[in-house]
Amino acid sequence: MELVVALGLIVFKVALLIAILLLLPLPLTWLERKIAGHVQQRMGPMRVGWHGLLQPVADGVKLLTKEDHIPAEADRFLFKLAPILALAPPFVVFVAVPFGESVSVLGTEITLYVSNMNVALLFVFAVIGIEVYGVIFGGWAANSKYAVLGSLRTCAQMISYEIPMGFAVIGVVMLAQSMSLLDIVRAQANVWNIVYQPVGFFVFFVAGLAESQRIPFDLAEAEGDLGAGFHTEYSGIRFAFFMVSEYAIMLLTSVLAVILFFGGWNGVLVPLPPLVWFVLKVAFFVYVFIWFRFTFPRYRYDQLMAIGWKVLLPLSMANIIITGVAFL
Amino acid sequence: MSRTLDRIGTWIGWAFFADLANGLALTFGYMFSKSVTMQYPDKEKWLPYSRYRGHHFLKRDEEGEIKCVACELCARICPCYCIEVIPYEDEKGNRRPAKFEIDMARCLFCGLCEDACPADAIALGQQYEFSSFSSRDLVIGRDDLLGKPGKAMTGGGVVAARLNTEQDVLVETSEPQGYNWWRNIRRT
Repeated sequence: MELVVALGLIVFKVALLIAILLLLPLPLTWLERKIAGHVQQRMGPMRVGWHGLLQPVADGVKLLTKEDHIPAEADRFLFKLAPILALAPPFVVFVAVPFGESVSVLGTEITLYVSNMNVALLFVFAVIGIEVYGVIFGGWAANSKYAVLGSLRTCAQMISYEIPMGFAVIGVVMLAQSMSLLDIVRAQANVWNIVYQPVGFFVFFVAGLAESQRIPFDLAEAEGDLGAGFHTEYSGIRFAFFMVSEYAIMLLTSVLAVILFFGGWNGVLVPLPPLVWFVLKVAFFVYVFIWFRFTFPRYRYDQLMAIGWKVLLPLSMANIIITGVAFL
Repeated sequence: MSRTLDRIGTWIGWAFFADLANGLALTFGYMFSKSVTMQYPDKEKWLPYSRYRGHHFLKRDEEGEIKCVACELCARICPCYCIEVIPYEDEKGNRRPAKFEIDMARCLFCGLCEDACPADAIALGQQYEFSSFSSRDLVIGRDDLLGKPGKAMTGGGVVAARLNTEQDVLVETSEPQGYNWWRNIRRT
């Protein structure tokens, strides 16, 4: 009986997580367009629903009813596989991400995470690494020169920024003495990691911007100067898959930034429920992502590589050494 | 010495991304400034200034007689030859236009006809909503021109409006004078 309840709880949590992650891009696209509009002294979507609130639904319906085009020369199997490969890893990662300690509903304690792995951080980075396959398959299977070029650019970018990102969080792991995200948040109960690890946070955040392919590192897409990058040949629902995965990674980066550096669900001054604190912090980071997008221009590709290898990597290395020395 | 200090200050600023922070502060400020969007045609409408050059109209004198004396000066000065005037003599012996047609599809709204007119009979009014699916419908005759709205008395405001798609694409204003749109412009 208890096993059934536990299993049912896990299934329920996973279903809820998938539903939230699939539906969150809708308000996020609306928010992004709204913020873009107001930054540029426009209004953004206004016509569909109250202040354009139903605009994402209309866009979704449009994407679903568009022709799902597959190029004649494409590798059909890989072409269909790539969006799923791009979509799955950001969803899988959230299994290891805690959203709080636990809440008691009807007398039973329900933990606000699907699983408490002791190597959660490693799991997160390992699974996010798979994301690259979706990108490279998508570009290659379409049998288009531009898509291949775009996917190669994206791959090089993601792989080279994953390294400083991985090094940047080592400082956090050293402070918490654990790779479990739950323990990392518990270790920040009094002082957030941002106080000890400002450089680590900087490296992590910049690398996170590059990982989620947002401006100023969105060379994969570069709406202004490219067709679309690796998903040039995709249309309809498969294109929507890539978009959803992009938003999920943006969300993941925000969640990780909050958990690793901003104390997770630990609040300051104002006594709010932990989950509310967590959501507020994540929302702030999501806003920062959007805010950056409509403030900064795009880096050139050689500058992107130079920042990754010549600035962020040495910085993250130095961060590890200094943290280690201070820790001794 | 102060130049060196300035340079050091700039370098320190770069090290802490002062320029990026400036950019972020600017866009953040703009996010809370008023938007300059005019929600035409279903919510707001622009009232043109009195000098606005919109659709032509023909004037009448005090007796209600058409002012035009069909001298054809407007047709002569028109740079795109869009006015066609054919004169006739009415029962009082005055020269009047039998046919006065303006091809709005060709007109470039320069207002030279208004300047050239010796009888102050033609002018460019405030109407600017006369798009059409057929360029044939854009040839406007004498009687239609007499009925067109004249110059705006006030203007330069944005008024509430409503889109009426039942009969035609019509904009109905509910206020005589709107708010001054220029107040929304952020000047820094």
